[in-house]
Formats: sequence, C-alpha cells, structure tokens
Amino acid sequence: MIEVQHLTKRYGPFTAVDDVSFRVEKGEILGFLGPNGAGKTSTMRVITGSMPASDGKVVVAGHDVFSAPLEAKKRTGYLPETPPLYPDMTVREYLHFASRIKSGGLSTAERTARVDAVMKKAHVDDMASRQCGKLSKGYKQRVGLAQALIHDPEVLVLDEPTAGLDPKQITETRDLIRSLGGSHTIILSTHILPEVAQTCQRVVIINKGKVVAVDTPENLTHQLKGAATLYVQVAGNQDTTALLSALPGVSKVTAGDRHETFSAYEIEAEANRDVRTDVARAVVQQGLGLLELRPTRITLEEVFLQLTTEDLMDGQPAQATGDGGAA
Amino acid sequence: MTSSWRNIRAIAGKELRSFYSSPVAWVLLGLFGTLFGVFFAANLLNFLQASMSQFGGPQRPVNVNNELIGPLLHNTAVLFLFFVPMITMRSYAEEKRSGTIELLLTSPLKDVEILIGKYLAAMGMYCGLLAVSALFMSVLFLTGNPAWKPVLSGYVGLFLLGSGFVALGLAFSSMTNNQTVAGASSFVLVLVLWVTSWFVDSAGPRTGEVLSYLSIIEHFSDFAKGIIDTKHIVYYLSVIAFGLFLTAKSVDAERWRG
Repeated sequence: MIEVQHLTKRYGPFTAVDDVSFRVEKGEILGFLGPNGAGKTSTMRVITGSMPASDGKVVVAGHDVFSAPLEAKKRTGYLPETPPLYPDMTVREYLHFASRIKSGGLSTAERTARVDAVMKKAHVDDMASRQCGKLSKGYKQRVGLAQALIHDPEVLVLDEPTAGLDPKQITETRDLIRSLGGSHTIILSTHILPEVAQTCQRVVIINKGKVVAVDTPENLTHQLKGAATLYVQVAGNQDTTALLSALPGVSKVTAGDRHETFSAYEIEAEANRDVRTDVARAVVQQGLGLLELRPTRITLEEVFLQLTTEDLMDGQPAQATGDGGAA
Repeated sequence: MTSSWRNIRAIAGKELRSFYSSPVAWVLLGLFGTLFGVFFAANLLNFLQASMSQFGGPQRPVNVNNELIGPLLHNTAVLFLFFVPMITMRSYAEEKRSGTIELLLTSPLKDVEILIGKYLAAMGMYCGLLAVSALFMSVLFLTGNPAWKPVLSGYVGLFLLGSGFVALGLAFSSMTNNQTVAGASSFVLVLVLWVTSWFVDSAGPRTGEVLSYLSIIEHFSDFAKGIIDTKHIVYYLSVIAFGLFLTAKSVDAERWRG
C-alpha cells in the first residue's frame, strides 16, 4: 500500500510537485502518466526515499518514508529511469551486491538462491556472467528490474520500465509486471499510453506537478467520450451520407475514406442514444453491404492530450509527448 | 555482526573489488612504483655520494635514517599529494554521474554507513600505495641495518597524512559529479594546506603560528624523525573528522536539492 498525501517538492523557486495526493491499494498496479517534466520522477524519488519532500507525507507499506526511512526502504524496490548498474560488475555480482545492501541478513546459500530466482524471473539468467556495461539496453533495463525485485519488496516503483526496449521485450516486461501485480503494489510511470491501458488498473495523470485525473483507464476514456461515435464501412463507393444523416438520433455524419470497394463514415449520435440497430437496418435495406460497424472510443492518448493541454488558452504550448503511440 | 557493520562491509567490499579488478588500480600502482623508484634511486645516490665524501672532506656523521630514509619519507608524502586525489575522485562523483547513487540512496542503508564504507575502501586503495613504497624500503633493511623505529613512526605519519588526504578527497568527490573537478580541487586544497608553512616567516607571529599549525606537512616532519607526538595525531584526526563531516553534509544537502 502506498499513500501520498499533499506531497509538494520544490527546487528553489520552482515547484516540481504541487500538492499531489493519491493512494495505491495493496496488490494494485497504478499507472503514473504525464508529459516530460510533469513531476513523475520527483514524486517517485520521494516515495522511494532517495529525496525528501518539501511538504506532505508519504507512507509506504505502513511506514512513513521520512520518519522511518529504513523500514520503508526495506519494503520498496525501485527501478529509476536509468538502471543504476555498475558497468564493471557482472550481472550476478551486481545482484549479489544489491541483495547484500537490501537484505543483509541472508545466508550465502539463501542469497545465491534469491539471485538465481530473480535472474530467472527477469529473463536475464543467460547473461549472468556478462558485465553490466556490455549489456544491450533491453538487458540493462531487465537487470535493473531484477535489482528492484531482489529483496521481494511489497512495493515496486518503476520509472518507465519499458523505455528503450524492442516490441518483443516490451510485451515480455509488461507480462512480467502484470504477473507481479496482486502480490506487489506497483507504481509504474510511463508516457506510452497503450501500456497503461494494458497493465494498469488505475491511472493518475499528472501535469505541471498537479494531479489532473485519477480513474481506471476505461472510465477515463468513457468519461471523455462525449457523444458516442460509430465507425461504419459500407461496400461500394457511393455516397451514403444523406441516408445516414436522415436517421433519427444521428446528429452528425462525417464521410471518411472512399475507396473503389468501400466507403467509411463516422457517425455521431445524440447523447445516450444507441443508433447501431437503426444504422445497420438502414444500410441493409438499401441493398448495400455492411462491412463494418463499431463504436469508436476516444483513445487514452486523446484523453491525455485533452487533460494535459487544457491551459493551451494561456498561449502555452502543449507538452504532449511525441512517442505516445510508439508501442 | 551488527547490521551497520554488515552494510559498511558490503559497500567497502564493492568499492575495493571494482578498484582492484580494474586496470585503473594497477596503472596507478605501477605509476606510483615508477615515480617512487626514481625518488628512491636519486636519494640513494645522494646518500652514497655523501658517505663516500666522508673520507676526503670534513668529518660528518652519516646516518641512513637521517640522510636517506627521512628525506625519502618526505618525498613519499609529496607523491601522495598527487596520487590520493586520483584514488578518491571517483568515489562519489562517478556514482552520481552514472546514477548508481540512487541504488545506494534507496536501499535500507544509513548515509553514514555508505560514507564509512567508501572511506574504508579508499583507505584500502591508499594502503596499496603504502605497500608499494614499503617494498622499496624493505630493500634497505635487506642490504643495510637502519633503525626500524623511525621507519615505523614515519609510516604511522604517512598513514595519518594519507587518511587526512583521503577524507578531504572524499568531500570533494561528494560535491560534484565530475571526477576531474573532484580530483583537481582536492589536489589544490591539499597543496595549499601543504604550502601554508611557506608564509609562516613573512606573516605576523600570531598568524604565523596558525599557518604553521595548519600546514599538513609541518605535522609530518616529526613522524619522519621518529617522533610520535599526540598533538600531530590530534591534528590529522581533526583533518579526517573535518573531511568526513563535510562529505556527510554535502551528501545530505544534495538529497534536498535533488
């Protein structure tokens, strides 16, 4: 369990984190989302005790990180943005060292067993005797993850765990993180949005140091959907805009791609009205082939942009990230 | 074994292993050995010349401890002026540059455990240099018959002097994430502390006394002569305490600054 209460972090006159509060329940995976410079890393550093807060309180697994830092740190695993690896140590030596400083009381046999177990879990056992400095980015990231798991902490704080990995490794890492949920409480920061939708039960969106939204990925996309929209694909390249617009409950039809064999439309319905049956019937009764009919949901990406660019009005450019859809 | 000592050993062990398993250690030791060898040979030749001229020139007592080992110990202290910053500059600065300091700061370790671990490790590296110089000294014992007590007190002095250098070097290493800056500034500081004695005569009596007390080499001279005086030990211990205190404060300040 992680509890962040009115957390504020100032660097001189600059406020990086401004009165942020949220809770992560035991076993939950929370996505921490925000553009670069939003205060994600600062918040994570305070939670992991690498840096004190200017104001507010953080309780990790029942221990206040400021008044009982050692107890809190024993129960926290942290993967910083750059995995903290010693380039001249082999993976095995590195994990042994990490274990020694994180769970000092183990016997040599227990430690060896523990190191072997996390190497297997993070899929780095084939590189056990390779120097950390000579590993590929993907392996470095996973050795970093193995380090965070070495003392079997209740809480895991992962700062962009999939950054720099190839698509296959991203999937593997996500699966690993998902499998850790339940037994571990996890905070995961990212600016890759599909990642949140796939791995997290809840999302905190943070912008300019402030929390702008806390909800499940599904609710966020629903909530901001506004009018329900449908995507319709009809066989043939004739224009059916007029036909569709005439249907009751339809407020707007936008013609999309038009090809030799099919034409696509986006239909906006009035609030709380399901027009799917009517649309399907109308198309079929006209003797046209209905190729596709599905509700289009606003993507988390659009939610994110909508939430984090609201103060575009003051003339400030949006801090949206470029690699939102990279995965 | 208390948990603190276990943590200190883990840190020190990691530092020492990575130092002695890297080429840096052996290059440093090799270079030090070369330079020390040059100084050793020069002093030895001087000494031989002095003892030869005894037959022709004015009668003068020649003593291997005073004429050879004493100056050699001073030369060694000068060499440490250059070499200790090379040992300590890496300590905190490199961890801060590469981000590995976050691993230490988010582990259940007290800052003081990290500090003592790093200090002991740097002392372990420094003792490597001492050992190389002792190797040369042992040649004198194999071929001659110098008094061993002044040599021993000289090494006690070198050990204390180096301990002070190491503490000051760590302090500079903890203030920056750039090894070069850390090394250069600790070199300049120990050099300044070294040469304060040059100004003793031109300064007023009061200031002169202070400058002479501050001079890191003035306190060493007695050790090289075979005198172990508590006032010098107190001086070096306060240099060590000052350096470590500065390091602890700077690590703490760094946390707040983020």
